[in-house]
Amino acid sequence: MRLYSLSVLYKGDAKAVLLKAAYDVSSFSFFQRSSVQEFMTFTSQLIVERSSKGSRASVKEQEYLCHVYVRNDSLAGVVIADSEYPSRVAFTLLEKVLDEFSKQVDRIDWPVGSPDTIQYAGLDGHLSRYQNPREADPMTKVQAELDETKIILHNTMESLLERGEKLDDLVSKSEVLGIQSKAFYKTARKQNSCCAIM
Amino acid sequence: MADSRTKPGNTPNEPGTSLRDRKKELILSGTLNPIKDLHLGKLALTKFPKSPETWIHRRWVLQQLIQETSLPSFVTKGNLGIIPAERTQQLIREEMEVCGEAAGRYPSNYNAWSHRIWVLQHLAKLDVKILLDELSSTKHWASMHVSDHSGFHYRQFLLKSLVSQTVTDGSVLEQNTLRSEPAIVLPKDEEAVASAEESRVNLPHLLEEEVEFSTDLIDSYPGHETLWCHRRHVFYLQHHLNGRFPHSVVQLSPADNPGGTLSDLHLIPAGPHTSQAMEVDGLSDSSKQGYSQETKRLKRTPAPDSLGLEMEHRFIDQVLSTCRNVEQARFANAYRKWLVTLSQ
Repeated sequence: MRLYSLSVLYKGDAKAVLLKAAYDVSSFSFFQRSSVQEFMTFTSQLIVERSSKGSRASVKEQEYLCHVYVRNDSLAGVVIADSEYPSRVAFTLLEKVLDEFSKQVDRIDWPVGSPDTIQYAGLDGHLSRYQNPREADPMTKVQAELDETKIILHNTMESLLERGEKLDDLVSKSEVLGIQSKAFYKTARKQNSCCAIM
Repeated sequence: MADSRTKPGNTPNEPGTSLRDRKKELILSGTLNPIKDLHLGKLALTKFPKSPETWIHRRWVLQQLIQETSLPSFVTKGNLGIIPAERTQQLIREEMEVCGEAAGRYPSNYNAWSHRIWVLQHLAKLDVKILLDELSSTKHWASMHVSDHSGFHYRQFLLKSLVSQTVTDGSVLEQNTLRSEPAIVLPKDEEAVASAEESRVNLPHLLEEEVEFSTDLIDSYPGHETLWCHRRHVFYLQHHLNGRFPHSVVQLSPADNPGGTLSDLHLIPAGPHTSQAMEVDGLSDSSKQGYSQETKRLKRTPAPDSLGLEMEHRFIDQVLSTCRNVEQARFANAYRKWLVTLSQ
């Protein structure tokens, strides 16, 4: 039961802007870590871009689940977890983080922000605390106000894409992914490796 | 030197065969320290946590270690009865750690968990204290890996082993200190009685705790089949213990069901476990005698009360009324159906 990344983004008209992110890639082998991190950023941005304002969704990709919450004011959060991590807690976390973020960071800074310029330090602590859902959220069992039936479920990343769009193309065009990551992606796809990231 | 390639199971194309044989030769000739070899294996497992060859070789090395010296693997220790020697305990501890790490590196790592069971059977001889320690020390891990079927199967094995090693005496169960394992000194009668007093295992309490654990996890983490499957096993053990299903007990006996899993009773869905030479899904040899005694005793016991069943049905109702997870509802209903078939 793990969380791998927690990011705050702004859903701009054209693209999603990463404002702040925290990662836990300790379970990956040393050499994979930077690629994994890049892919998680890439995925988070893509998901926010393809989700509408005022929506919550869970996107399944191999053994990962990406939970996204895009608020009506375009502030968005993505948490990437494994398939054991309870989604209810993931959405509680997202709600909490975005609430806290919006109180600490001025709205004007959102559309043009970046991890270097944004002053918000809470993410690492939240990510680490929420690794154990029951410790972080003792009320897990209590039904939250959140209506789980409204959460859109996507069984693959592909279902987020437009007709004719290919994930491979998006990967190769991405500015977020380094050359090594793109190469790793190609090999992993070919092998259909059980260790493939995305 | 004998040509290892002509031995059965050592085909020339099998990867690593000649290396493995070479290592065996080196260990047997005293050139390679088995402990060092185990350490190397541990490192290999960090990269290849599933590797069957590594686990198989590991068991061979461990067997060499416990057979090799004139030092005993087991000793009598005061009123604790017969327990594994310190050296053996150290080996066991190390293996538990290696298995735990490998289990964390790959989900439902059957090879790691079945090795862990093998160690308990062959190195620890299902020593009760060790079984109890394992039950408590793996609890947190299990709660953080709620879809790890092999991890929960391990807990089922621990509970089953505890059940099969004890002889019922009312509601408190006494440990059977007569073991098939040769010891240096057999305990005198007084010591045996003292040991029995010391090592009472309150099985009903343990099983009740496991049910609570299961309830807790099912409520916190909806939609995981592993948890429901685990509940079936625990429920079955509880009520088998109380003589609820004497007919079914016969089916549980390894004599009736060689190499058996509990799948005959539809307790587990068709899963990844195939029967292997290691017999980790069945019951250990040392439990066979205890079990048939148990079987005879239970056959004489009158039929069940339905209190346990009622509670389970109430639990299912509670889950169904509050859950919003489609899978959870499905598993709850399947569990209900299973309970109904049990009482028929």
